[in-house]
Amino acid sequence: MEKITRSNKYKGDYLTKTYAEINEKIKNGNVVVLTAEEMVDFVGEHGLKVAAEEIDVVTTGTFGPMCSSGAFLNFGHSDPPIKFEHLWLNDVHAYHGNAAVDCYIGCTRMADVKPFEYGGGHVIEDLVSGKPIRLKGNSYTTDCYPLAEVDTEFTIEDINQAILCNPRNAYQRYVCAVNSSEKTLYTYMGKLLPNYGNAHYAGAGSLSPLSNDPDYETIGIGTKIFLGGGIGYVIGEGTQHSPSSRFGTLFVKGDLKQMTPEYLRGVTYEKYGTSMFVGIGIPIPILNEDLAKKTAISDGDLFTDVVDYGVPRRDRPKLKQVSYKELKSGFVDLNGNKVKCSSLSSLFHARKIADTLKNWILNGDFLLNSPAETLPTNTVFKPMKLTAELKFVKDLKKAAEICYEDCDIKVVAEKIVRKNINHIVITDRENHLKGIVTSFDITRAIAEDKHELNDIITKRVFTTSDNEPISNAARKMKTNNISALPVIDDDRRVVGLISAEELM
Amino acid sequence: MTVINVTLPFGLIKKVDDYSKIINVILEQNISVNILKFSTGRSGINLLLDIPEEKISSITEALKKNDVIVNKKGRVIVDIEKCIDCGACVSLCPTDALHMDEKELLEYSLEKCIGCLLCIDSCPRFAIEET
Repeated sequence: MEKITRSNKYKGDYLTKTYAEINEKIKNGNVVVLTAEEMVDFVGEHGLKVAAEEIDVVTTGTFGPMCSSGAFLNFGHSDPPIKFEHLWLNDVHAYHGNAAVDCYIGCTRMADVKPFEYGGGHVIEDLVSGKPIRLKGNSYTTDCYPLAEVDTEFTIEDINQAILCNPRNAYQRYVCAVNSSEKTLYTYMGKLLPNYGNAHYAGAGSLSPLSNDPDYETIGIGTKIFLGGGIGYVIGEGTQHSPSSRFGTLFVKGDLKQMTPEYLRGVTYEKYGTSMFVGIGIPIPILNEDLAKKTAISDGDLFTDVVDYGVPRRDRPKLKQVSYKELKSGFVDLNGNKVKCSSLSSLFHARKIADTLKNWILNGDFLLNSPAETLPTNTVFKPMKLTAELKFVKDLKKAAEICYEDCDIKVVAEKIVRKNINHIVITDRENHLKGIVTSFDITRAIAEDKHELNDIITKRVFTTSDNEPISNAARKMKTNNISALPVIDDDRRVVGLISAEELM
Repeated sequence: MTVINVTLPFGLIKKVDDYSKIINVILEQNISVNILKFSTGRSGINLLLDIPEEKISSITEALKKNDVIVNKKGRVIVDIEKCIDCGACVSLCPTDALHMDEKELLEYSLEKCIGCLLCIDSCPRFAIEET
């Protein structure tokens, strides 16, 4: 802090500053700006009162995958003109439900040609990088828009508007994901190893914009922000905005033409799909001591839940609360086990964003504004209303036809014929699952001249349980290319069978 | 103990005797060997062996005489042009070969990599490739 002016006003004992006063200091070149991380140290050293007095602005930053991102583009009119019915940008289907040549390219939409490699996020990164984008589109044609097809190339310079418009960005915090199941899961929280083999979290912790203004005193509609390396604005609360549970989000927009690819990166999560990393930084004016206190929040004071993604339901089990300090240490303690933990979002770039924004303000290039309207602080995130009742395995399962493991192959074959079925579940005398035999296994036994049941049993069997939703059981069958699942209880006792036929 | 990456290139093994010959080369060293991984890859059969540090040079020499490729180094490369320093690979690396440096930039230590390849499909930027 080279130069500190003590021109700030007190109302009684309580210091208040105005946006106008802070902007005056920005213009005069004597504004004092710290990043949110520096603010933690400053308050620790000098206390809140001094911090509120001396610090004018605290800058925040975050750079992570934000799936609810995309851009509106306007191409101008062709001659003869076209009204797009469908259009593709580098083989990625863009949404067209607006006027003739407007579209929205969403970052999670995957390319028709190379899905799981390239998607809308990559189109936006390429567009911002100045690369040519191939535009293909068609139309049913009208009297005013007679052209049926377009196949052309354009760069960001060639089009009228390119507006980044993201309905849900900058999550205040996010959960830490682990996997209790026995197989590797590929999720939007990255690759999760079985049996709690690793943990992933997202968010910049104490640098995270909304964690520094959790009551939305300064961040509101019209707040000017760092977005994708350029200037953007908060245009409302984000979708699923849930500030009371500390899962607030923002709706943001900005001109893509002045953004940089360093802060807009197309990404692909294996077997999940594409998304985009978005860089966002928000300045928090220190209008009073209360805001000084809020921006001084440290990683040790910010908590989130460790959530088990091994349970494929909306309400996944929460295993424990964890601080961002613990998350950033590289390990999460789960029942005494040290689980290796890493971030999905880049702390390096979050810091760089907070630093860049700080420099913009110090250089007098970036003024602060009070929001036109504050954001709601009481909205709740409701679940989807489903009119059809959720069906479970127990609703559709049938009795399993069972043979004991020491039974003769011929008995199994006879049972298959007599009952006109395809699957025989093999158990021990206490009804514990030992394997499964299908009519195909019997056929194969004959072809390969095998006589022992033990030689043809499939022993590693995929299973389900009474309370698994039918759709999850169906996905298990589809992804593993099998036609039935034994239903077992907690002790691996067979309580039924569900096969593809029941799901038809 | 230290880890070496042994590749039996395609064509080297034609019959069971060829295997025995190579296994004998290792057995002649009179050491205990842990086979950490046995897999087939684009270049042939890959073995990840945990051997005593002091035996590296003699084993490497003996194996190379029998046309086996020995590589002590890691088996992935990280393209820093593509990498965005997110950290999605870090939790998957069992040896901290992939880790964040003090500036929170991704750092890859070749000598720590055991070639498990768990990281490859965790990278959202396709920045990690098998060598």
